[in-house]
Amino acid sequence: MAQVHLRDVVKKYGPLEVVHSINLDIADGEFVVLVGPSGCGKSTTLRMVAGLEGISGGEVHIGNRVVNDLPPRERNISMVFQNYALYPHMTVRENLGFSLKIAKQSQADIDKAVDVAAEILSLTPLLDRKPGALSGGQRQRVAMGRAIVRHPEVFLFDEPLSNLDAKLRTQMRVEIKKLHQKLKSTIIYVTHDQVEAMTLADRIVIMRDGHIEQVGTPLDVFENPVNTFVGTFIGSPPMNLLDGVVKGFELEFAGGTRLPVPPGYATQDGQAVTFGVRADNIMPVGHALPRGEHMAEVEMAVDLTEPLGTETLLFATLAGTEVQAKMLNPRPVQSGERMTFQIMLDKCHLFDAETGATLRT
Amino acid sequence: MASNLNHRVRRYSLKGLHFFGLFTAMMVLCVPGLWIVLNSFRPTVEIMAKPPVWIPNELNLDHYRAMFSGIGEGGVPVLTYFANSLVISVTSTVIALLIGMAGGYAFARYKFNFKGGMFVGLMVTRAVPGVALSLPLFILFARVGIIDTHFGLILAYVALNVPFTIWLIDGFFRQVPPELAEAAEIDGCTRWQAFWRVEFPVARAGIASAGIFAFLTSWNEYALASQLTRSTTSKTMPVGLLDFTSEFTLNWGGMCALAVLMIIPALILTFLVQKHLIAGLTFGGVKG
Amino acid sequence: MNRLKLPPWLVLLLPAIIILSAVVLIPLVLSLYSSFTSYRLTRPDSIFNWVGFFNYEKALTDVKFWAAFGRTVLLLTVALNLEMLLGLGLALMVSKVTQGQRLLRTMMMFPMMFSPILVGFQFKFIFNDNVGLVNNALQSLGLTDRAIPWLVDGHLAMFSIIFAEIWTATSVFGILILAGLYAIPRDPLEAAKVDGCTAWQSFRYVTLPFLMPFIYIAMAIRSLDVARAYDIVQIMTNGGPARRTELLWTLIGRTGYVDARMGYANAMGYISIFLAIFFTIYFFKKLTQSRKELGMGA
Repeated sequence: MAQVHLRDVVKKYGPLEVVHSINLDIADGEFVVLVGPSGCGKSTTLRMVAGLEGISGGEVHIGNRVVNDLPPRERNISMVFQNYALYPHMTVRENLGFSLKIAKQSQADIDKAVDVAAEILSLTPLLDRKPGALSGGQRQRVAMGRAIVRHPEVFLFDEPLSNLDAKLRTQMRVEIKKLHQKLKSTIIYVTHDQVEAMTLADRIVIMRDGHIEQVGTPLDVFENPVNTFVGTFIGSPPMNLLDGVVKGFELEFAGGTRLPVPPGYATQDGQAVTFGVRADNIMPVGHALPRGEHMAEVEMAVDLTEPLGTETLLFATLAGTEVQAKMLNPRPVQSGERMTFQIMLDKCHLFDAETGATLRT
Repeated sequence: MASNLNHRVRRYSLKGLHFFGLFTAMMVLCVPGLWIVLNSFRPTVEIMAKPPVWIPNELNLDHYRAMFSGIGEGGVPVLTYFANSLVISVTSTVIALLIGMAGGYAFARYKFNFKGGMFVGLMVTRAVPGVALSLPLFILFARVGIIDTHFGLILAYVALNVPFTIWLIDGFFRQVPPELAEAAEIDGCTRWQAFWRVEFPVARAGIASAGIFAFLTSWNEYALASQLTRSTTSKTMPVGLLDFTSEFTLNWGGMCALAVLMIIPALILTFLVQKHLIAGLTFGGVKG
Repeated sequence: MNRLKLPPWLVLLLPAIIILSAVVLIPLVLSLYSSFTSYRLTRPDSIFNWVGFFNYEKALTDVKFWAAFGRTVLLLTVALNLEMLLGLGLALMVSKVTQGQRLLRTMMMFPMMFSPILVGFQFKFIFNDNVGLVNNALQSLGLTDRAIPWLVDGHLAMFSIIFAEIWTATSVFGILILAGLYAIPRDPLEAAKVDGCTAWQSFRYVTLPFLMPFIYIAMAIRSLDVARAYDIVQIMTNGGPARRTELLWTLIGRTGYVDARMGYANAMGYISIFLAIFFTIYFFKKLTQSRKELGMGA
């Protein structure tokens, strides 16, 4: 197992710079997820670690080696690809054993390693089939099996679950997590799905436009987003954002609606700010929010409801902006019904209106 | 780090090797042709000079002038040959395309018994060597009385090209999802309209490249033409090349000039379709 | 309306079937018949002179025929294999280029635009012992001071023919294999890199299996096209010197047209047709098989 360090890593395609001087330290055995919208540079970063893309600037360390110019085969890594990248002309057994065969291991060793991997991923009955005869989930497992037979120092996953249907994705997510607990290996995992990131990661790296926006544990990035981008990207439904102006100890929104400034934020009178609140922290009165001291109440008309069973999402309009709220003990709600909502102010966020950066002190 | 450096050095030396190999290959591929072009502009004395003249002293259009005015040795009627070639190649290509479109569509869209066998059967007709075909075809055409006519050669070339156009066009139609035509039919088209308004335009580029391939085959064909043509009424350019040879001598310069005339249309067409051609051969081959 | 209703696919295929029957099938039947007669062009009524298998027996016991047959198979084997290897190399080199690929592709296809007969003349000219490009170059570079008889010496003539043949057809392989290289999914190649393959190993275990269908297509197309070699050989040496480069097609052509012994020529023609069909079907079989390997069913 090994640590991975990125030092001022840059990727350029001609004059176009797509990854801007990234720094990241990944500890031995850590499960790190790179997440961000498409085109944010997360896959490129992963591929630079793999050695599939050249590094335009900076250094990549795996273990204690600089690997910038090493070809992938000398980096002691393995990778699971989005489209599985199975070799169509080989059986599952040959696919699994291929890297060991290339490394000139004895047939007995190869067979043993393949059997162990097949056992872990319950692939044993499929060993003599070709990839064309497998279902999506099975192919996915073969791809993972191929990665684990080598006992690499670092596992790389490039959106491995995005081609699976929703149910299978949940199932494979659990399997990947179990696998990590069993192998205790360093994993770098790329996804655009924030749910995957939250559920799998020891630490999440949120990227946008070739920059790292925030690095932290899932709870940390959820509770303390450094800017509006992270706030809206992590968590579902996305955080509600309202533009307002600080008036003394209150925020004033369009149409004159006022709310107290949330605790823990430094503001100046007259400052333009963005107020952020998650649907979980804005609920109709009487729906499980504890009565605390940092509470505010607003009245809104409900435009639309989305019943999800255990809870119902309410779409309402506050100060001219659509906001989503949650109802934990669902009851039928008429469209246009006016309700009083409570906002848990100590769970709310304030960002600079211009830069989007958090104003937390 | 040493191994990092090693890999960098290897990468650069491989790059150099790659460039050198590519350069050599392209030289071998292009020089013989360019030499023909060069010689078409040089006086015969210089072409035949001994010791050789490497840097041309004089370039002129004499061979072309001789060729077009028909006053060269033997007075080769190049323009007539050119016209024959053009008429025969274009007509046979258009017919082969129409037949190929019908056949290719049948293979791409309908299911029927012995489809695989039929396909191989079509292909095998192409495997018959031209010279083996030219003998009986000569006898047959002589009987019917279409030796030395445009019609006879057009007929032969259509047959020569049909298997290949079917193969290519089949591949292109397969790339067009059947839902497109179905949608058009639901929108009120007849099957016939759906074909011409939806499927044909989508596959058009590929069909065009199949056409150009057929054109080049007809344009360059010699084995059949040399037997089925006799006089200036139907001789094509490849056969015409032989007019520059007599029993003991060869008019290289004149021949080179005619060669250039033959290559130019082929060059233009090939450049236009090269990309589609690759795609077409790929579909036809891999998607079976 | 009481006319016969044919299934649509048959209607669509009918024109192709009719024209192929008229121009290929009927002549083939005719030639099959005449191969059992002593038909001579000069004596038309000899077509009714049935001689049974005489022509075939004669061909099969004729040393000249077997020599030409052997030479043809040799030429096909050597030329097809070399073309495949060179085409593969060419395609790999072109595919690695980042800029100017379109230009390179066109240059690569340059020989394909040449009429085979033109290729024949071109190489007759280039290998001419007196004023040809090759000898001129060798002499000017001081590598030799005599005129090497490229087309006059038996072995050299065969070499020259194979060279010309390879020059024309390597691009066919190159283009098709290039198409194959473009069609290879990127992922398995990257997976192979990560799995520890060297460049050679990725090529051997991943690229090559993916390319095999394309290589067989090229082989099939080329073996369909072998008749091209007739034009080249006829112009360059016409089977000479002293029949050292006689191939089946030149032998047939000479027997049929020059000696006017059509019956005999057609018998030999049939044998050569079976040779061509054998090669074609063999490569089609291989193609299907390698496709199946890749899980690309029809």
